[in-house]
Amino acid sequence: MKRKIISAALLLVFISSDVFAFCGFYVSKADGTLKNKTSQVILVRDGERTVITMSNDFKGDVKDFAMVVPVPTVLKKSDIKVVEADLFQRLNDYSKPRLVEYFDQNPCERRDYELAEIVTQKMSAPSTANAKEKSEDSRYKVKVEAEYTVGEYDIVILSAEESTGLYKWLTANKYKIPKGAEEVLEPYIKSNMKFFVVKVNIEEQEELGFEQLRPLQIKFNSPKFMLPIRLGMANADGDQDMIVYAFTKNGRIESTNYRSVLMPTGKNIPLFVQKNFGSFYANLFQHQWEKENQSVSFVEYAWDVSPSNFMKCDPCVSEPPNFNDLKEAGVWWLGKDVYEEYVNEYNTNKTKNVFFTRLHVRYNRKAFAQDLVFQETPNKENFQARYIITHPATGNLTCSEGQNYLKELKERRKKEMSMLSQLTGKGYDDWDLVMDPELNRTTVDTSYQSIAVTESTPMKKTGTGKTVFLASMALLSVLTMVSIGRRGKNKE
Amino acid sequence: MAVAVKQWDARYFQMAFQVIFLSYSILFLQWKAEWLQYSLYIGTALILQWLCDAILEKKMFSPFQWSSGGWKSALISSLSLCLLLKTNNWSICILASALSVFSKYIFRINGKHVFNPSAFGIVATVLFTGNAWLSPGQWGSSAVIFFAVCCLGFIVVTRVQKLDITLAFLLTFAGLLFIRQVIYLNWPIDFFLQSISTGSLLLFSFFMISDPRTAPNHAVARIIWAMLIAAVAFYFSAFKWMNSTPIFILVLMAPLVPLFDLLMKAKIFQWRAAVKESQQATINFIKSKRIYHG
Repeated sequence: MKRKIISAALLLVFISSDVFAFCGFYVSKADGTLKNKTSQVILVRDGERTVITMSNDFKGDVKDFAMVVPVPTVLKKSDIKVVEADLFQRLNDYSKPRLVEYFDQNPCERRDYELAEIVTQKMSAPSTANAKEKSEDSRYKVKVEAEYTVGEYDIVILSAEESTGLYKWLTANKYKIPKGAEEVLEPYIKSNMKFFVVKVNIEEQEELGFEQLRPLQIKFNSPKFMLPIRLGMANADGDQDMIVYAFTKNGRIESTNYRSVLMPTGKNIPLFVQKNFGSFYANLFQHQWEKENQSVSFVEYAWDVSPSNFMKCDPCVSEPPNFNDLKEAGVWWLGKDVYEEYVNEYNTNKTKNVFFTRLHVRYNRKAFAQDLVFQETPNKENFQARYIITHPATGNLTCSEGQNYLKELKERRKKEMSMLSQLTGKGYDDWDLVMDPELNRTTVDTSYQSIAVTESTPMKKTGTGKTVFLASMALLSVLTMVSIGRRGKNKE
Repeated sequence: MAVAVKQWDARYFQMAFQVIFLSYSILFLQWKAEWLQYSLYIGTALILQWLCDAILEKKMFSPFQWSSGGWKSALISSLSLCLLLKTNNWSICILASALSVFSKYIFRINGKHVFNPSAFGIVATVLFTGNAWLSPGQWGSSAVIFFAVCCLGFIVVTRVQKLDITLAFLLTFAGLLFIRQVIYLNWPIDFFLQSISTGSLLLFSFFMISDPRTAPNHAVARIIWAMLIAAVAFYFSAFKWMNSTPIFILVLMAPLVPLFDLLMKAKIFQWRAAVKESQQATINFIKSKRIYHG
């Protein structure tokens, strides 16, 4: 039963990445209803220029599907390009939450303090899809602004006068419009948004020989700095995840209409999480998301990746994004495609600064009534979601220091356990553990299992502090009002 | 009986609410508590205010004999900075606080300071340093009930002190948003509710634009002025996609206030404590005369 909870939460993050999604919606010509679950987006922004790259890990029959994304302007062919799918994988690997390991020294053996930092990893990533059709009809009050073939994609840019027209156009062209999509089309049309409709050009795709659909990148100039997630909610039931990798010149991006929350970081957690880090983080995310009332965007990573900054991560999970990755992602202000120039301008050229932000949003219709709107801030503070496990000392611990060490170890492990349930809302018994033989290496009474038995099982901590705070504030205001009232009476 | 009625100065409540907002945000909204920054904001404002008062009165006085309401104003301005202005640089805190306090002495027309001190400090710092920013989403929209209750509490305890500005602003701004988002664009109602249920908007309308010292003196002028700010702020946020427009527009429109005062005459607002002080001074004066004559 308890195992189920963990596996269910796991499903949310991991299985979900099998089915791709972007903030637009998929329209299907086939009957099978497509779900958008997880999407990855690269946002590059400076001034009023935006470059958006949408990962595409769509799985299914490519000729049956299409994607619709609202965009603020009519895009030229040169504004659209296809990029390599592994870019997303590299950015994800670089910025994902990390686990750091430390090793205790055996106090009975005076060795040099040994410290090792090994970084484990988590979470998989990206990839794409669509079909081909062509038709225009003034009866629908839909105007085909432009049509291009870019890579394996056929792209149509539409503008519409009314949502029913667009709806009908899509239907007439044999797209199956997901339920609920029509109501959100109208606000976009009236906000003068255009519709970027993408299908897969089967011949091109076969000719190019790419098995997976590649990410699409678009660029435009507009003051609107947002991601239209509302349209994406049209064909997804339940929660969807989106990871935003943003590159800006001055500092972090943050949402202006949802609260930004930093993921808890730098916490000491039990050793057994090492082999279960994926499920640990999935549970942590779910728990924190619920605790924060859902309508939030989480910051998972923020770092200055400017050429002048030598330390691009600490510890590094993988290679930090290099010049080519940044260019591929659409960071246009790095200058010419000359790598030497980029390297030689170390330290001096502020115009070549690049700041990276990774946001993780889990959204649904109820908690997210609006699209995600962003702003760039001058906040250059680095941040990473980082968790720490500590390996106990090994060997003979019979000396007196060794005995003290064991006592401390037990205390520390108690703290680690309570941190675990504080972070994830789960206790020891909830874990479907991939057991490590570590338990055999320490004495029995310092094992997590024995601590878990003595400690009471997971504590339910839900907003009691908040209630107390609100109640005391209410009391305070009542008292104030009463005293004011009395003063008023005295006056008479 | 001619006993002077002890009426609490509304500014005490304002301070109390600001402290409550700040502690709520730190305790429950995962704000990173920047204690150094908070102390710099508050410390700088109080010290500079004290110096300015001392210079104006041409004598050094101990902070405990600080008779004018200057410290209250400085404290409120600096608490606003703690709540709204974000930076990673401690020198920015000093600068913002200093700009807030000095703006009251530098930009004066007809015995009134032109700019709302904290709004001026915030806008000048954000625009000219490029190292500070506002986070309009920092309260999210789930804390709005808490904020609304506090703001209502504020109205009750302060006995509707200059609430006309707040209401004129809030109703115009929300009304225009409603027309644009719900009636014209046809977004569902929760889209609109999210736009107006931000802590930043309530904080602005109850604790910033409502400052009677920097609003026009005449009641009608005040309402026109507040509605004008709402309309312009709405325009820039809805059509130009700018953030935190009300604060910027408040500063931009501040020079209109002397113009309104010129066109529509009325008495300058004084905080109750200040009124009381001047009354007390008169009473003392009369008493002393009596004693003299007696």
